[in-house]
Amino acid sequence: MTRWVMIADLRRCVGCQTCTAACKHTNATPPEVQWRRVLDMELGEYPDVKRVFVPVGCMHCADPPCMHVCPSTATKQRADGIVTIDYDLCIGCAYCAVACPYQARYKTDKPEFAYGAPMESEAKRHDPGRYGVATKCTFCSDRVDAGLEKGLKPGIDPDASPACVNSCIAQALHFGDIEDKASNVSQLLAENQFFRMHEELGTEPGFYYLWDKK
Amino acid sequence: MKKSEPARIEKKATYCYQCVAGPDLLTVKVVDGVATEVEPNFAAADIHPGGGKVCVKAYGLVQKLYNPNRVRSPMKRTNPSKGRDQDPGFVPISWDEAFDTIAKKLLEIRAKGLTDDSGYPRVAASFGGGGTPQSYMGTFPAFLGAWGPVDMGFGSGQGVKCTHSEHLYGEFWHRAFTVSPDTPLSEYVISCGANTEASGGVVGVWRHADARIRGMKRVQVEPHLSVTAACSSEWVPIKPKTDPAFLYALIHVMLFEHPRARLDVPFLLHHTASPYLVGPNGFYLRDPRTRQPLLAGALEERATREAIEIGADDEVLAQGLLEGETAFAKLLAHMKPYTPEWSAAICDVPAATLRRIAGEYLDHAHIGETIVIDGMTLPFRPVSVALGKTVNNGWGGFECCWARTMLAALVGALEVPGGTLGTTVRLNRPLSERHESVKPGPDGFMAYPLNPTDKAHWNAKPNIRNAYRTLVPLAADGPWSQALGPTHFSWMFLGETPPGLPRVTYPELWFVYRTNPAISFWDTQQVGERMASFPFVVALAYTRDETNHFADLLLPDQMDLESLQLIYIGGSKYIEQFWKNEGYALRQPVVSPRVDARDFSDIATELARRTGLLERYNASINRGTAGVPLKGASWDFSLDTARAHSRDEIWDAVCRAASAELTDGRETHGLDWWKEHGLRVKPFPQSNWYLFPTLAAQGLRFELPYQERLWRVGQQLARRMHENDMRWWDNQLAEYQPLPAWKDFPKLWETELARIGGKTEDFPFWLLTSRSMQYAWGGNVGMQIIHEVAGNVAGHGGVIINAKRAAELGIADGDAVEIATPAKSVRAKAVLRQGIRPDTLLLIAQFDHWATPYARDFGVPSLNSLVPMSMNLTDATGSGADVVRVSIKRSVAS
Amino acid sequence: MSGFGPNPWIQRHWDWRAAANFVFGGAGSGLILAAALALPLGPARAVSLPLGLALVALGLTCVWLEIGRPWRALHVFFNARTSWMTREAFAGIALFGVTVAAFFRPGDWMEFVLGFFALLFAWCQAMILRASKGIPAWREPKVIPFILATSLGEGAALAVVLAVAYNMPSPLAYGLLAVALLARAAAWMVYVASVAPKLRGAPQAALVAVTPVLLWIGTFGALALAALAAALPRHFAMLLALAAAAAAILAGWHAKRTLVTRASLNQGFSLPNLPTRGAR
Repeated sequence: MTRWVMIADLRRCVGCQTCTAACKHTNATPPEVQWRRVLDMELGEYPDVKRVFVPVGCMHCADPPCMHVCPSTATKQRADGIVTIDYDLCIGCAYCAVACPYQARYKTDKPEFAYGAPMESEAKRHDPGRYGVATKCTFCSDRVDAGLEKGLKPGIDPDASPACVNSCIAQALHFGDIEDKASNVSQLLAENQFFRMHEELGTEPGFYYLWDKK
Repeated sequence: MKKSEPARIEKKATYCYQCVAGPDLLTVKVVDGVATEVEPNFAAADIHPGGGKVCVKAYGLVQKLYNPNRVRSPMKRTNPSKGRDQDPGFVPISWDEAFDTIAKKLLEIRAKGLTDDSGYPRVAASFGGGGTPQSYMGTFPAFLGAWGPVDMGFGSGQGVKCTHSEHLYGEFWHRAFTVSPDTPLSEYVISCGANTEASGGVVGVWRHADARIRGMKRVQVEPHLSVTAACSSEWVPIKPKTDPAFLYALIHVMLFEHPRARLDVPFLLHHTASPYLVGPNGFYLRDPRTRQPLLAGALEERATREAIEIGADDEVLAQGLLEGETAFAKLLAHMKPYTPEWSAAICDVPAATLRRIAGEYLDHAHIGETIVIDGMTLPFRPVSVALGKTVNNGWGGFECCWARTMLAALVGALEVPGGTLGTTVRLNRPLSERHESVKPGPDGFMAYPLNPTDKAHWNAKPNIRNAYRTLVPLAADGPWSQALGPTHFSWMFLGETPPGLPRVTYPELWFVYRTNPAISFWDTQQVGERMASFPFVVALAYTRDETNHFADLLLPDQMDLESLQLIYIGGSKYIEQFWKNEGYALRQPVVSPRVDARDFSDIATELARRTGLLERYNASINRGTAGVPLKGASWDFSLDTARAHSRDEIWDAVCRAASAELTDGRETHGLDWWKEHGLRVKPFPQSNWYLFPTLAAQGLRFELPYQERLWRVGQQLARRMHENDMRWWDNQLAEYQPLPAWKDFPKLWETELARIGGKTEDFPFWLLTSRSMQYAWGGNVGMQIIHEVAGNVAGHGGVIINAKRAAELGIADGDAVEIATPAKSVRAKAVLRQGIRPDTLLLIAQFDHWATPYARDFGVPSLNSLVPMSMNLTDATGSGADVVRVSIKRSVAS
Repeated sequence: MSGFGPNPWIQRHWDWRAAANFVFGGAGSGLILAAALALPLGPARAVSLPLGLALVALGLTCVWLEIGRPWRALHVFFNARTSWMTREAFAGIALFGVTVAAFFRPGDWMEFVLGFFALLFAWCQAMILRASKGIPAWREPKVIPFILATSLGEGAALAVVLAVAYNMPSPLAYGLLAVALLARAAAWMVYVASVAPKLRGAPQAALVAVTPVLLWIGTFGALALAALAAALPRHFAMLLALAAAAAAILAGWHAKRTLVTRASLNQGFSLPNLPTRGAR
């Protein structure tokens, strides 16, 4: 079995938003829709204050509340753990969005472009099917699938890896198969201390945060 | 995404040099002729020290290409009145008419003479900072070279607002126009405001992330918790502009509270000026016959020798049996008062913290250890001190740079593996090779091309309006020097030229490219008013903006993804960009131009043709102005100088010469090959990162701690100026000291506040700025995607204020506030954060746009609108700092 | 601060239209349930059923106006296996059918079926909130008794009005109202005690501010008015019953609207461990 997961190494992330922008490029998301984004968090009070940059997005939970609540079965889970949305089934009720504890889902009701009218690059990639429905990070499943078809290794070969991971200039983001004990992600998790966001909710996120070595 | 498969997908390799921390490498995905995505250049992962990646700015390029707000054709002004409140009335014209108009002006100028009655060039040109525009302006430098004198000293922020002291003193002391820790080997970095995670580019971010995982400790010393402080082991919130006191205390602790053996005594003794004997008048004791300095055998020694002491203008101050003490002994006496307790009272950092940091620095210095690099055994000293902007320019910059370099020298961590490295030269020649710029100079130190200050050679009459050759010896006189002078003086002196200088005149024609001084300089209102009086302005224009609002002609050049140029990559350059490879990369059109724009090379060629300069222009390209000499040892791709060549002809020749240069003539690939492959490199030895072995091989010493040469120069300059009845530079002349003393630097700003009618207690905040990685240098303020993603980083939407202090002032998060000096005020939205000192406010980046489409709707102010251009706040290198005392209050409207 | 920190913010996906489904659907199903439990056969009961259905339909219409793809609304029926929204839709259909049947063929077992499906619909609504893991104020299990109690209370209040209007005194309806409103007050107190500490700022204040409204107006005020209505002659009773119902219903609606749109802080983000940045 394969279970794709992502790792964000909080020690490395600098909050530059390169992944945010790369995701927007690769997935042609409309303005203000950020399937991947990086939070700029402050904890504590001056002068004992820490600032931490935290990449967030769909956590591709093993037990995804969004999927359970979805009335149309538009949200599904693949055998490899990737949580998907069928834009042709989705009714846009946004129930998934309020069920998601990670604020990972977006719904854009009408076409929106950077400067009002679509630019050539936006027109080229405009997909009316994306409006009025829920959208979110796909772990770039199309890239993963296309890469696998070519015999590439997701998380290692850029052409089989998510755009955010490819773009990261701090090597903070990693992607791979957690079921493969020899994989990059399995090794990182074996060597480092980690947590998952809101683990107490029992969603079993497929997104791990490294914070220290073991 | 549409589900139907696109007919044709291409990935075109190119480079991004939108900021000084580049260049970085990328590919652009082109689907059916439409550029859709930017990706890293994965093929370059092994040769680029940042994994072949590009930062967030590059992801704005697709919008930059298709931005509907682009200037779509040449335009001319129809409203002769210029002013912020005037509609320029730009109307489209043909390229032919545009070239005709410019050529006519240029030919008129040539007929009158290239310089005016004051001796200043009639043509001026301003480009954006850090040399980045040169990576987009094709062969325009060849046109400027062919033209003759051009005033490139009208500042837009580069130089004086950059790490200016570092540029000048750094290059003087260790060929360090820019300075970096040897991050790949570093263990301990004290960073006074060096905002590496925002300004170090892809390579800086990449390397520092690796270093963190490796266990490097970085202590970030700055008034606000920047992204870099966030990523550091420790944040020390220091009071603004007191960094010299912080650094001096570290030196004090190392000199007086630790055994001498914890310092690198052999390094100090053999590779610095520490053992030089200083005479009673403060000059070196010299051998009466050879006039060479006399050295002691130990660091701390008093000795009486048969010697002479030579003063500023070669006068003999003393001779005979003279008593001297070593420069190191002078240093000890000088640093004695600067105790941690003294420092703590000034910089608001506890004495215990200062002692701990000094101790940790020594703990990590690995005194005595070596490392083998490229077969060479070199000292291994993985500690360094990094300085940021505002720390490093304006008053106090000299003291910080000196202290930083001294901290490196004390433990032998200067220009050795793990230590403090200079990473590029821009004032010494050759610009391309630091090591070749190391030549023996006076007294056993490196030569430096100081502007002359002796009676026979001092330039009483400046060559350009900012008078850098007259006022700033350290600015040297190379191609970069004009922009490294006091470039605000060009603007200020248009109003009133100080006594002794020829009256500063308006240039008759001003080229502007990839720069927006009406936003990016200080006192932007005054800069705008001056611009409005420029008689003829030619702006290479991407969109309308605040500077080209005053232009007479707008020329749209093809933007980043439409145009063509080959540039040098790798080697050792800018900040963290030191590679293990060097070579060239091509920027190529990924799509056809989307507006009626021309490639800058074609524009340059046409200007040369129409002004009769074609032969000199082509000859300049042949000599290498386009980045590579076209004639080499066994190859010659020189252009026929008699005729105009197309862009592709020129760059094909450049590509062939570059291929030949990289392969010693074995390969001569032309433009088509480079378009397909994008780049080519050869190895650049890591040992070339370190200057120490080169100095040691030539028997040269680092000119530290004692600054006899600069002191002499300062005295000479003072005499020259006073001889010419120029007294307005006296404060600056006081900066030339053999050992820099602490002055109350914050007080300078308070005094300036009082001068313009403000009381310190009424303007209790220090307003600072900080780099935005998303925007800095990028000319991308009109990009929606950049605005969107930058919004995720705190502070892009307003002024950052300490949350507790804000509460005391009745200011809530999101409130409209007014930030004011006695002269001006701006409005902003309050952004409440914990990570900032209660006495400090922060405005990130440089906004306050009023003409640039999209950006003019941000409603975010800029520090530049509040900071004055001030002689009093200009230091001896001619720079100032982005600091101003302000008040803040909740806006009535909120 | 400024949306950058770990602090949660109010969800923006469900607005008044979603709240209206809980408001009207709850009252409508509550009315049908109250009718089944407490209204004798006759005109009051006859009116209560279509009125209840109309309210349920109004609520669903509001949701329909909110969804992004209204013409695909039938896809809502695709996930009965796990989605309480699908179940609510089916329960709604069933409730319509049963109610129509009960309208024409009332009877003891039919009352039981009617009450079951009305309760099921209200239950589904409660579970919709309960399953929303992203919203702490919704996913709290104690939200279920409150949603059920307020549904029944609002329905009972309407039932009392109808009983008075058609002059069919129903001590049972009064009794049901009293029980439901007291149960609702208790459920609310228990719910708020559990949830309010998990919130902060305006959302917390909004939720806490509901309590006096629900207690003094929606419970004690409504019950006092209802008691007077029961004791006084009919032409006074009608006004008092209307006032009691308004107090009971509007307080419930206010609570639900607050719950959905003003107290619906999302989960935010939290870091159980802070990253080390180089050497400690």
